[in-house]
Amino acid sequence: MKIFCLEDFKVEFEKLSSKKSYRDIENEIIDYFFDKSIGELESGVRLNNSDDTPYIKKRLKGLGGYRCYFLLILKKDALYLMFVHPKTGTLGSSNITDESKTYLYKKVYKAIENQDLYELSLDESKNKIIFSKSVQVLA
Amino acid sequence: METLEYKSEISKTFSVVRSFSFNEKKSPLIDEETLNTEETMNTFLDAILTFKSKMKVKAEIISTITERMDKLTWFTNLDEESLMLLNDLISAAKDVHSSLIRQYVSLTPLRKKGIAIEEIKAWKSSIDELKESYEDLESVFFFLPEMPDFVETTKQLSLV
Repeated sequence: MKIFCLEDFKVEFEKLSSKKSYRDIENEIIDYFFDKSIGELESGVRLNNSDDTPYIKKRLKGLGGYRCYFLLILKKDALYLMFVHPKTGTLGSSNITDESKTYLYKKVYKAIENQDLYELSLDESKNKIIFSKSVQVLA
Repeated sequence: METLEYKSEISKTFSVVRSFSFNEKKSPLIDEETLNTEETMNTFLDAILTFKSKMKVKAEIISTITERMDKLTWFTNLDEESLMLLNDLISAAKDVHSSLIRQYVSLTPLRKKGIAIEEIKAWKSSIDELKESYEDLESVFFFLPEMPDFVETTKQLSLV
């Protein structure tokens, strides 16, 4: 399965992983999303009533917990990370609004259409995420 | 899963939450008298251990309910009757949440004394997740489907 992300996710991820109190976020993302089948990722809260393109909010444990928003497109065997935020700490928030969920949802659709995404992979040690500007062909 | 199975699972979850809510209102969280009188050191320590273990069990029950509620979001195309059941479930979850918050506030003296801090913290975290879960249910089945941009995006993505 290929893993992509929005700019929003990358920015938030880099901001969090640079802080000592959120240093575990990279491991949390790697452990939960990498080397998994689509079926293994179909859990959490499904926001959009769609079996083929579920938009999911997942609680990740970690220090105080994170909330990760992502989209699966089953027929493409692809996952799109949209946003992540911590629950606690200086950058923590309890939840995002329905307007924000809609904003991210529209944004990921546009990003897929325009191929404006980053593709995620792991370095040789398998404990660091590498972001590469995506050049995938979706048609 | 068929409509009847959806209804059955929503009803079962509702029953679990309703019973939990009733029990939480009926039985006190701690035997405050024992914890406050400090009759003998042994009795006091025993009471703390019992309290800690009770908190762990309660946090696990709440987490199980939360997981069960999260799974309901994977039910597709619910009919009006199922949505009404879900609405009852959300109301019951709000009710139990408010009871639990009252209990949390009542534990302030213990927290100030530094008793069972970790257990109380984990229990409070499970209460917060319960709230998040019923808010998510409300969002998924009642608010987001009414947002035109959200509905339109679902349609567009089905064509990608």
